[in-house]
Amino acid sequence: MINILKMDFHRFKSNKMIYILLLIFFAFQIFGIFMLGKYEQPGESGVMLISSMNESQFIQVMMSQIPLWPLIYIAVFVVYFYMSEHNSGFYKNYISMKHARMYTVISKILIAGLFTLLTFIVMIAADMIGRSIFFNHAMIGDGGYFTKLLIGQFLLHWAFSIVILCISIISKSLIASIVVGFVLSLNVFGMIVTVLESIIDDVHLSSFLIVNTILSTRDFDNINDLVHVASVSIVFIVIFSFIAIRYKIKEDLK
Amino acid sequence: MAEAIIEVSQLTKQFKGKTAVRKVEFKIGKGEIFGLIGQNGAGKSTLLKMIAGLISPTSGEIKLFDRPVKDNHPYFERIGVLIENPGLYPHHTAYENLELIAISYGLTNRKEHINKLLKLVGLEGSNKTKVKNYSMGMKQRLGIAAALIGSPDVLILDEPINGLDPQGISEIRNMILELNKTGMTIIISSHILEELSKVATQYAIVHQGEIIEHHSREQLLLQCEDRIEIEVDKASSAVPILEQKLHINHYKVISERMVYVYDAHLENQHIIKTLVESGITIHSIIKHKQSLEQYFLARIESEGGSRD
Repeated sequence: MINILKMDFHRFKSNKMIYILLLIFFAFQIFGIFMLGKYEQPGESGVMLISSMNESQFIQVMMSQIPLWPLIYIAVFVVYFYMSEHNSGFYKNYISMKHARMYTVISKILIAGLFTLLTFIVMIAADMIGRSIFFNHAMIGDGGYFTKLLIGQFLLHWAFSIVILCISIISKSLIASIVVGFVLSLNVFGMIVTVLESIIDDVHLSSFLIVNTILSTRDFDNINDLVHVASVSIVFIVIFSFIAIRYKIKEDLK
Repeated sequence: MAEAIIEVSQLTKQFKGKTAVRKVEFKIGKGEIFGLIGQNGAGKSTLLKMIAGLISPTSGEIKLFDRPVKDNHPYFERIGVLIENPGLYPHHTAYENLELIAISYGLTNRKEHINKLLKLVGLEGSNKTKVKNYSMGMKQRLGIAAALIGSPDVLILDEPINGLDPQGISEIRNMILELNKTGMTIIISSHILEELSKVATQYAIVHQGEIIEHHSREQLLLQCEDRIEIEVDKASSAVPILEQKLHINHYKVISERMVYVYDAHLENQHIIKTLVESGITIHSIIKHKQSLEQYFLARIESEGGSRD
């Protein structure tokens, strides 16, 4: 297991595409803050201006808007990282080793987690720099709340990356996986489910969907909200990891 | 046969109801070069993928190193594989590709091992060239290096000379023979029997997913050797005359009425005259000459021709 993870990590750190993706993400985050600062209008009384928000509030606002840019970058990375190995046939060099099929999926899940973590670090760094430049402050707010918010959102984003990995493994198509990644990032699926819910009584599925959970603003000091976020992300992580591993074990490789 | 290192029995693979490999059986001894010959689409690659653990059989059994294969068999690690195209990252160099594989195997002295392999396959001078810029021959050689990185006991090469020029074919052939000298068992598939005949010690002809013939090198060459096929009333009466009067020692009694004489330089008239003078009735006498390619094609035709 550790050797396959080391191999994937070696490929991860020596791949320029990853740094380019993160750099583009960083640049667009800064640009987004610049645009927010430039076109911000004073709202109704009692409504807080984005420029005066602390980092926790700012992240919540950014993550309640479609499209969810971090999800798009994560989807592109996960599809690229998996499909480049699959399309080149590189897996043939090691996949026959004992338990390698299971380990390779676990390794990809961990690497997806690493990229998600880097995306968050870049996002926070860009926010802090951008807000310092364009909002003239970079307040974080309550440290405990900020930590809980980051952990919760990280788990949700990581769960999303595993969903995309699972789709890539099953579809074996780069284009199809990217398209599904974009569609999910735009929450098209969540919107369809919400519409269906409004037609069918007593069904409340949409609040348990991963992208809907990311989009909905939550109070991370509230235990119910914390449990909701943790349970949605853990359920998605476990279910889609299991499906991906089972599929890979049974897959006839080309 | 030497100790069987790979044994397959009743091996079958179906894809969506279509049978790609049907009830295949054979054994491969340690140190052999086992040649799988068959047309494109005959089922060679599917068979090799099952042995390599890339796909699972629909039914039947594979034994590696005398142990039945189940999921995650540890002995798969002792098999190096080059099936269809080499699995390489096109934007990496040869060294980078081998380094990744070496990491997955947990090799410690990676640099030395990789440089040794690159030297073995003749790619030591192409350090900075990315694989996407390699010729077909270079990719195949790098694929062999990749298959050798775990120091396997068995090497599986599927169509390793496809798309190579004569020099490339010769280099791969020499490399296979050199590796075999170290005691490595090699399974090699091809649709070019003439080429395979220069390296393999055992042959299996695969046609429409079945093994229709299995020969040792000697048996195969004997099948294709120049010979005179003589059909007489009674072969047992003709043999003493062939031995004593014509001094023929290299012959084979095929059936009660058929004798093959491998001293093909003898004239037919001379044989006919001697046998007739000795009271032997001859029904037919044919001079038979066949290349390995002709033999293969005739064998395939007798089994019902191409699937396509």
